[in-house]
Amino acid sequence: MREKATTIYLGPQHPGITGNMMVRLKVIGDTIVSAQTEVGYLHRAFEKLQERRNWLQGFTLMCRFCVPESDPMENVYARSVEAIDGREVPERGKYIRVMVLELARIATQLMWYAGQNGSLGLYTMGQWSIGDRDYILDLFEELTGGRVYHMYQWPGGVRRDLPEGFTDKVLRTLDYLEKRLKDYDDLMFANSIFQKRTQGVGIVPKENIIEHGVVGPVLRGAGIRSDIRIDEPYEVYDKLDFEIPTQEGSDIWARALVRRAEVHQSIRIIRQVIDQMPSGEYFNKFPNPLKWIVPAGDAYVRVESGRGEVGFYAVSDGTIHPRRMHLRGAAYVHAITLLESILPGQNIADVSAIMNSLGTCAPEIER
Amino acid sequence: MYNDKNSKKIVETIQNWARSHSIWVLAYGTGCGAIEISPTMTSRYDAERLGFRGAATPRQADVMLITGYLTVKTVKRVVRVYEQMQSPKYVVGFGSCTINGGMYYDSYNTINLLDRYLPVDVYINGCMPRPEAVLAGLSKLQQIIREGNANGAEKYLENLAWYKENQRKIAPNWIAKAPDLNW
Amino acid sequence: MIAQIKAVFPEAVNKDYDGNRLDLTVNKEAVPSVLLYLKDSMGFRHLSHIAYVDWIEQGEFELVYILWSPLDKVKLYVHTRINRENPVIENIDMIWRQANTYEREIREMLGIEFTGLVAPDEFILEDWDDIPPFRKDFDTLEYVNRTFWHRPGREDAQDVRSTISERSGEEIPDFAKKYSR
Repeated sequence: MREKATTIYLGPQHPGITGNMMVRLKVIGDTIVSAQTEVGYLHRAFEKLQERRNWLQGFTLMCRFCVPESDPMENVYARSVEAIDGREVPERGKYIRVMVLELARIATQLMWYAGQNGSLGLYTMGQWSIGDRDYILDLFEELTGGRVYHMYQWPGGVRRDLPEGFTDKVLRTLDYLEKRLKDYDDLMFANSIFQKRTQGVGIVPKENIIEHGVVGPVLRGAGIRSDIRIDEPYEVYDKLDFEIPTQEGSDIWARALVRRAEVHQSIRIIRQVIDQMPSGEYFNKFPNPLKWIVPAGDAYVRVESGRGEVGFYAVSDGTIHPRRMHLRGAAYVHAITLLESILPGQNIADVSAIMNSLGTCAPEIER
Repeated sequence: MYNDKNSKKIVETIQNWARSHSIWVLAYGTGCGAIEISPTMTSRYDAERLGFRGAATPRQADVMLITGYLTVKTVKRVVRVYEQMQSPKYVVGFGSCTINGGMYYDSYNTINLLDRYLPVDVYINGCMPRPEAVLAGLSKLQQIIREGNANGAEKYLENLAWYKENQRKIAPNWIAKAPDLNW
Repeated sequence: MIAQIKAVFPEAVNKDYDGNRLDLTVNKEAVPSVLLYLKDSMGFRHLSHIAYVDWIEQGEFELVYILWSPLDKVKLYVHTRINRENPVIENIDMIWRQANTYEREIREMLGIEFTGLVAPDEFILEDWDDIPPFRKDFDTLEYVNRTFWHRPGREDAQDVRSTISERSGEEIPDFAKKYSR
């Protein structure tokens, strides 16, 4: 008797899906035969809106591209405008930017802890890690004024200087987080259920991984040592001392280990930044924003966010409005071509875990 | 038996009091604001002590949080999910995008006024609203339920033609394919 | 590495923004063969982005393929121009599989036709019946005024604090006085 495939919609309203997107699955029994991703539920046409605003107003829209991690987007906008305009950023501004980026990376990985374990059924990790992530958001609120959308890094530097006593608070939070990371290890990585459910699941084949356009922890979980911070150093990363963790195996377990090591490395980087921070100017003033004309040219700038490489292509034609701003999200290909090619053969219950492990973030795919 | 007006009023008051202390929130993050729901529901700001917990399907949910902007594609799904929920049901508009379109007021794909398409009970403003603001908004919803004024579902059924006409204006092909209101 | 590229493509230009950036402009018919040669023989294995710009005054669309070489650490931009009246170009799906997604989006947002592209029609927009929205002759504010409504009461753009204090009889606090009109 031949079996027929059923169509299931892992739809927009689903407790296990990362953001507002849909995956259409054809299944026989419990095994997936084919998958098709459907996006478009969050399309706001950012780039069209930015053509109607001037260069400074565009920066308020930038942080809303990717909701969990908004700082790399501001950074890449600021650096692209500086590249076209030819402005320099003072040293202190660069160090503050690195500190903000690394704090955002820790917050993203803590949120990933919650999502990945929630998809496997371990809800306690979500309660712990989102509660700890709130301490980092408190730091952001004192520095920039907002918890989620900071609007802090603009072309020329940062918006305001560090307040008094801020670095002590950062160091205390980092000490607390280091102690908590041991608890996370005991609960999650030493847990035999987590190991059995993640080892050997969601394997990304290594042969044509670079040609598929895979970036970030997915690439490092396959054994390839590639990171924008060492390939094309930006800000002050060439003066800092850190490692890029890699793992072999290319399944969910390997990527989880890579992300765990990245949190440790980020804590190490922030401590060095606080030691080496120079004093001086933090902002290189730009002219009156209502009349700021950027000379004609284009630039493509990349940054390493918690989920991979974010690229930004900006074109100017010599007026007060930008001609074109085009963002390449980190998970742009992970969610569509890569997911559709690795899902056949897996179980339905693992789809949510695989999507969390690839780092799909729906708002930045369709902007 | 006890069918006179006073007994009905007492029964209604007790029902509303019980409903207000056990509200199940539908697990649907429609926009930006979904990122502040998890801090509200977990250990630091703990909305579970007020009775809020997550529900997986629309048949088991009481309130739907429209967190932020809605695109035209999502409006069709949200209306369908809303019509699948059982009465009594409430809608909370989260963020400035539901009030007047917010930052995306000139985008061709996002709607500007939410209450033309769905009946809204409480608005929480902000971009993003803080978890304390969310808790304040949800407490206001509890208060409205206890007073007996949370009748969004009845308003929807009374003015169904007007709501459907507004929905058809942005999604002309969808209404022709959708079945009627008998889910 | 830069010298090698210049030997093969003498018209490649070196712009000094980042120090490791090269620009190359090719005809649209030559795009698949140039990209295949760059990927297989010169080490540009990573396709970072396919960007698209609408130059309506010149009557052309521009596509920029941005390549990265992981071993030599060089970025290469390949620019091509396509006529706006009849936009057709060949697809490069077989060189990089991820190009499928980029081309679906460009087809939907700009209306360029990629010969040989196999993909479902709708990607981001559903039931869209106007011109492709990222063209410069599509006015998004006019579309919004036609289809959606704005919240009444803000047409005269009054200052919020002063209006509230007039209506309710409360004083504006001192710290806010310098921000209100």
